[in-house]
Amino acid sequence: MKTFSRRQFLYCGAGLLCSTVSARAFWPFSEKTGMAAGPADIRGHVFKGDAPETLWKWSHEGFLYTKLNDKLVMCGICPHRCLLSPGDRSVCRSKVNMDGILYSLTYGNPCSVNVDPIEKKPLYHFKPRSKAFSIATAGCNFRCLNCQNWEISQAKPHEVRHYELFPVDVIKAAQRSKCLSIAYTYSEAVTFFEYMIDTARLARENGVFNLWISNGYINREPLLALCKVLDAANVNLKSYSDAIYRKLNGGRLQPVLETFKTLHEQRVHFEMTNLVVPGYVDDDEMVKKMCGWVLENLGPDYPLHFLRFFPKYKLDRLPSTPVSTLIRFRKLAMSEGIHYVYVGNASYPEGNNTYCHHCNKLLIERTGYLIPTYNLDKNRCKFCNTVIPGRWV
Amino acid sequence: MKRRNERVITRVVIATGISSVVTQLLIIREFLAQFQGNEFVIALILFNWLILGGIGTILSHRITRSLWAATATRLGWLSLLLAGLPGVLILAVRYFRDVFFIHGSSVGFYSILIYSFLATAPYCLIIGFVLPYSLFVIRKSNPGYPGARIYITDNLGDVSGGALFSFVLVLWVSPMTAVFLANIPLLLAAFLLFHHYSRQRLSVYLSAAAAFAVLGAGMFIEPLSLVPPEGKTVYYSESRYGRIQVLKDKEQYTLFVGGVPLFSSQNLNMAEETIHYPLSQVDTARNVLLISAQGGMMAELEKYRPASVDYVELDPKVADVEFRFGLIKKIRGLRVIHQDGRAYLEKSKKIYDAIIVNLSEPDTFQINRFYTDRFFALARRHLARYGVLSFAMEGFENYLAEPQRQKLSSLYNTVRDYFSHVLLLPGEKIFFLCGFRPINTDIPKLLDQKGIPTRYIRGYYYGNVTPERIERLNSLIDPKTPKNIDDVPQLMHLMFLQWFAKFSTSPTGFIVVLLLFCMVYLFRIHLEEFVLFSTGFMVMGSEILVIFAFQIFFGYIYFQIGLIVTVFLAGLLPGAWFGDRFRKRSKQTLMFTDGLLMVLMGLLIAAVKLAGHQLPVAAYLVFGFSVSLICGFQFPVALYLRGGDAPAVTQTFSADLIGAAFGTLIANVFLIPYFGIIWTAAGLIGLKFLSLTVTILSYENV
Repeated sequence: MKTFSRRQFLYCGAGLLCSTVSARAFWPFSEKTGMAAGPADIRGHVFKGDAPETLWKWSHEGFLYTKLNDKLVMCGICPHRCLLSPGDRSVCRSKVNMDGILYSLTYGNPCSVNVDPIEKKPLYHFKPRSKAFSIATAGCNFRCLNCQNWEISQAKPHEVRHYELFPVDVIKAAQRSKCLSIAYTYSEAVTFFEYMIDTARLARENGVFNLWISNGYINREPLLALCKVLDAANVNLKSYSDAIYRKLNGGRLQPVLETFKTLHEQRVHFEMTNLVVPGYVDDDEMVKKMCGWVLENLGPDYPLHFLRFFPKYKLDRLPSTPVSTLIRFRKLAMSEGIHYVYVGNASYPEGNNTYCHHCNKLLIERTGYLIPTYNLDKNRCKFCNTVIPGRWV
Repeated sequence: MKRRNERVITRVVIATGISSVVTQLLIIREFLAQFQGNEFVIALILFNWLILGGIGTILSHRITRSLWAATATRLGWLSLLLAGLPGVLILAVRYFRDVFFIHGSSVGFYSILIYSFLATAPYCLIIGFVLPYSLFVIRKSNPGYPGARIYITDNLGDVSGGALFSFVLVLWVSPMTAVFLANIPLLLAAFLLFHHYSRQRLSVYLSAAAAFAVLGAGMFIEPLSLVPPEGKTVYYSESRYGRIQVLKDKEQYTLFVGGVPLFSSQNLNMAEETIHYPLSQVDTARNVLLISAQGGMMAELEKYRPASVDYVELDPKVADVEFRFGLIKKIRGLRVIHQDGRAYLEKSKKIYDAIIVNLSEPDTFQINRFYTDRFFALARRHLARYGVLSFAMEGFENYLAEPQRQKLSSLYNTVRDYFSHVLLLPGEKIFFLCGFRPINTDIPKLLDQKGIPTRYIRGYYYGNVTPERIERLNSLIDPKTPKNIDDVPQLMHLMFLQWFAKFSTSPTGFIVVLLLFCMVYLFRIHLEEFVLFSTGFMVMGSEILVIFAFQIFFGYIYFQIGLIVTVFLAGLLPGAWFGDRFRKRSKQTLMFTDGLLMVLMGLLIAAVKLAGHQLPVAAYLVFGFSVSLICGFQFPVALYLRGGDAPAVTQTFSADLIGAAFGTLIANVFLIPYFGIIWTAAGLIGLKFLSLTVTILSYENV
């Protein structure tokens, strides 16, 4: 046999090393890699030079923005604080800088209008059995991978078919439909703030309630203005992890937590929803921490809804949440001290019912949107006379 | 000695052909499981594969001439590398999927394009490189060795690899085992090559052992590579149609097919909607046909006490898993039929009270066949007087986007020709209820009258499926949207549009780059190469066309489709052999064969148009074999006319591959979905006509 040269030895050694290294590279297959995978932040970006050439009928000057040098403007509605040069479009796609003035392009042009049961929002402690006149315009300040309304939330206003309903028309339509309330919902109400608050003010004057269904990604100043006319809210606490917020939603956790604090401080009735995404949000420790924060900052009385995840939009290669996980989370949250915890999008009747936090008796039995049993006397438990948090009558 | 040298290299070429085709098919399946199984992605991956192969081939001559002279030893090293690479490639596709993209999310067009291009580039470039390189090695000892012979040898390997995969490996073994088995011949051939040429024994032994170890290790790593972060995989199998997995998370089982969660064991809403919306409309549900099924459906169906439930499921493994994990209940009167649903209906004479189609979105030609004119006509023939057909499309939560509106409109306009009453119900999905009398939308009331208890429908229907929502959805139907007919699958391109809209992208940039590349390439090639380019285009285009037409008339029959793919490869071999021995290799021969291809295509149009249903399977096989025979015949003729030297070899080889790449992509995602069978075939004839014209003109100029 011919002798083996040093060079050959080095080649062979390198070859074997490479194969070993490549084998090692695949070893993490056995580990849980969900959070480690892919980009860490999917936040949206400003659309440079994407503003339309001229404004359209449904444009309205923005309410809270700062004019800066060189016709730059900074939107003050949500924590993105989009800095827009003339001709730019905001992250939420619904605001543009036209020659140094910030305009909302979604004033009076909802693309989705429906009459929904209030339980669908979900709001379980606000005027049960009533109907909500629900409106949405195009745009969202988040980029949730599992958005169920992505056709409108991830679209620009001119890309969707829309109705023409200025604030006064919304009130009339809501009254015509015998709705007690108007829900600003589906896409993201923060992005049509100007339209929402004008409608809400008018609604308040006309005795119609205002419901804000949102991701809660809003600055304190506009939220305080909104709270003055708000009757109830459902805010989505997507997870109690900033990393997950950035990865799956393109937002941050802290501003949402601040929103809850403000709503609490302003005494607006609100309910929280938490979508339990398998592999991301289905973590007992995270739920405990979340409940701890809620109890410490908001108290035990605001209802919390754990919602079942279904594969949707871009997050469509995950299984749906096992019902037992939702049941476990409900028990966990209640054992931590939250009084009213519900399970949504799942076939678990008990998780839809309201039980008195004092005497544990069944107050409201819900079969879907139907309420066959109702044991509240105004806002009190019929059995033990305890005041049940919410707005019932 | 010269002969022995050639024999040793020939063995390497055949083994490389086997390995490359098996790897190609495995990689396509892997991408479909990891990304998206739509027709666009299938075409894209094949396109990348062929283009990269073509680029590798072009580079072969340049690299060999200036950087890396052709030697048998180097060929041996390349072959060892090629033998070890496929396993690493498949595992890399799996592993890096979750490194570059968010786990559980689907990925858009450009991401898939770039990822598949980069992931397959190392292997495809080497595969493209190695074929002409083998020829250059042979020519060092035998300068007169004809290039066509290497082409023939490679085809022999390709045909063997295709048949081995389609009829053996896919049925019995997992991807990594298939890789192992398909690469052992290459490993052996490379080893024998070294044995024959080289004395560097130890390094060869070590490298061969390393390649073997990598191949073997792949089989052990494979189960780990399929572990999801959520839940536990309790079942994994590769059926002939794709990957099947069952994931257990707590008490819930979820069935994944091709990487997509089809349904879970806790699927009450969908099960109730899918069964009760149509069955609430019929007087009695004695005989029901289910084309595919969802978890929990049988339990709902049982409430009607049907006399017979025929459940058609194409993939026996899927049905087996559904029953094994309790995803679907065995009920009285249930008959499971493992057949293509359309093929079953063609042959069956049974009349049903309801036909419930429960398939996924029509984003492949195979699935699209269940949403076309002929299928609806077929369904109508099998329905009782007041029977109902139902199917569903992905949802309408609060707004109907434009591509989706067009999709629903196309379906509505198609099915409306066969049913006097069609209504769209906006449930969790959009349900099409098609019958011969008005559809009653008060479904909870109908169910109450029948005494059928439900949980979801009873509680949620009146709040979710309101009269306003029903009215609005149905009023959005556009009567002008073209129908989805078998011959022109309109729905396919609407599905593509919807897919692009989902990722806010457009294929325009890609098309522009592609056109530029194509134009630059076509301006640089010789006439003979253009002939081969157009022939490669035509062979792939007609292969896709034939499979498409076959499925329309006969259904998705795995072995017969496998046979069609095989004959499209098999004809190349005798064709090239005849071409190589044909004495009168002239431009007239090219022109004559171009003409023959046009005639064959014309015959196909006539046959499909006049007697699609009556054509025997053999006709499709004969057509495929004839087209590939002519293509094979043209190759040595063109190569001979081109001169047969090293640059000519690489350029003619690559022209064939690049033409095939464009044929795959354009026929799949553009010609068939937009223009249908007849015009696609006409387009292919047009391309050949162009090739013929250019040849005639150049002939006259000489």
